[in-house]
Amino acid sequence: MARLFARNETLVATILLLFIIVTSIVDPSFLSVPTLFDLLRNGLIMAIFAIGVLLVLISGGIDVSFTALAAFAMYATTKTLVETGVEGSMALALAMSGGIGLCLGLVNGFFVGTMRLPTLIVTLGTLSAFRGALLTFVGSQLISNVPDGMRDFSRTMLLRGTNADGYFYSLPAAVLVLLLVVVLTWFILYRTMLGRNIFAIGGSLDSARRIGIPVTKVQYFIYAYVGTISGIAGIVHASLARVANPFDIVGLELSVIAAVVLGGARLQGGTGTITGTLLGVALIVVINNSLITLGIPSTWQNIVIGLLILLGTGVPAWQARRSGRTE
Amino acid sequence: MMKRMIALALGSAAMLLPATMGAAQDASYKIPTVVKISGIQWFNRMQEGVDRFAEETGNDAYQVGPPQADAQLQVQLIEDMIAQDADAITVVPFAPEAVEPVLQRARDQGIVVITHEAADIENADYDIEAFSNAAYGEQIMKNLAECMGESGEYAVFVGSLTSKSHNEWVDAAVAYQEENFPDMTMVGDKNETFDDQQQAYQKTQELLRAYPDVAGFQGSASTDVAGVGLAVEERGMEDDTCVMGTSLPSISEQYLETGAVDRIFFWDPALAGYAMNELAVHMLDGGEVTDGMDLSPEGYQDLSLQGKVLYGQAWVEVDQSNMADYPF
Repeated sequence: MARLFARNETLVATILLLFIIVTSIVDPSFLSVPTLFDLLRNGLIMAIFAIGVLLVLISGGIDVSFTALAAFAMYATTKTLVETGVEGSMALALAMSGGIGLCLGLVNGFFVGTMRLPTLIVTLGTLSAFRGALLTFVGSQLISNVPDGMRDFSRTMLLRGTNADGYFYSLPAAVLVLLLVVVLTWFILYRTMLGRNIFAIGGSLDSARRIGIPVTKVQYFIYAYVGTISGIAGIVHASLARVANPFDIVGLELSVIAAVVLGGARLQGGTGTITGTLLGVALIVVINNSLITLGIPSTWQNIVIGLLILLGTGVPAWQARRSGRTE
Repeated sequence: MMKRMIALALGSAAMLLPATMGAAQDASYKIPTVVKISGIQWFNRMQEGVDRFAEETGNDAYQVGPPQADAQLQVQLIEDMIAQDADAITVVPFAPEAVEPVLQRARDQGIVVITHEAADIENADYDIEAFSNAAYGEQIMKNLAECMGESGEYAVFVGSLTSKSHNEWVDAAVAYQEENFPDMTMVGDKNETFDDQQQAYQKTQELLRAYPDVAGFQGSASTDVAGVGLAVEERGMEDDTCVMGTSLPSISEQYLETGAVDRIFFWDPALAGYAMNELAVHMLDGGEVTDGMDLSPEGYQDLSLQGKVLYGQAWVEVDQSNMADYPF
């Protein structure tokens, strides 16, 4: 029981629950299916990114370049499809964007794995380089006539309902992408040798090398995987928004990392769970989407989020230190 | 001199004709227009205005701009123009404070300096603005109120609480509503979108949940109404809401088509480019700049002079019917 309370997941879930309760008291209609669908739709891009970041954090690294990579893959894909006149299906767009993401991820993999440079420095560099390359060589103009395949995808709904006033609420098919990423990542982390190696590298890089784990190969995999799912997240984002804006997405990286850390992943590596990560994302999304309801003014919104991050990550860290002292 | 004035007046009356009467044989002035960045749709459109001015008046007017939106590159370009003995320079500064020193040098050499989108500039002869922010905000509110039948709840968006012009538009709009449309109420605070369509989308969803009766939305950043439009369209509320605000057809086209966005407002950079050049020539010819003066592009008649800033009423209102006329 005590152990359960010491876990980040429990703390985050409690704060999340409290927040939902308070918001529902202020506005009873908050607790409804349309709200749930809105939140899922607004959180799914962040959740896909967060799963990628989780993998990197578990391996003891940090990746801040994934947003630039997603923007690059998303914009290059949309632009290519529009200019070649291939209206195509969403599957093609997903494959292309994921593929570009994979290639860019390999660049990170090269610097981290082969050159053995610190991950923060590498990804800070590639963040800037990918973004610069996108705006210089690919383009800087917003594309609002996205290919039909992408537009159709944004209109494809899993579930659709009508509220009392006759207006729609719906759950986009894009949540399936998130579901797929979650299941696949869960499988890799907990059901394969590769997953165990990722945890081992995060626990101790040197020990992992000594016991014969192919560290470089695993690192290549990690960054390529993160690149692929970031590329996918990027194109899903552009499809849902029905616009490819090269200035989009970049700037999200810190909130995503905050969500993952809030969910219990340690920056030192070796620890982290998918459940915790999704809870962390849920908390940030719920906060972001209930401040108008709670009547918290714009300027205060960032303060509230900052304080919650301090609380959510500070309390477990403080608890861990205290329990370390008593043992 | 008088002849030239008459020619100019005639030229302005027939602005859209291929007028060559203004092309005075004697003095042809060299007037570069230095914009923030070249190659983007906004400034391509401005170039059309500058080119048309050159064609109609015979002056050596042309547009240049750095390949990237970079204050330093723009300063270098202005220096080049001074070195090339320009008679006048018109500038759309990327960062007004960054160009102050170089513009001062230009003026010291007797070059006429006209700016646009830089109302606080010190080292210019005149700055010309398409409209005063307050008048523009009121104009959007008049349209929104008309669409909403002068009653009901509405919400407003700004890029951020620190974007000066966005806040001036919205503050003027809200003040105008309070004065003239007592049956309308603003709900919530000014919503910040950080010029991000997703934020505008998300905040609209939340506003619709928190205030189910909200029927009007006024956007400020060019992506605001697109985000609002997407949320409105997904809910199937196109016919029951009024969505208006600053945007461009290239950004809001798909929502104007479905009626999710009702009307957008902006100013036409082609006309602003033309007006800047016309003002420069007017000054080079020794003309006076006075309150109430007229320039030929539409919306730049009866300019009001405040300090060294000339304000027009050159907003453009675009809906489904005329969006094809503004391909940018």
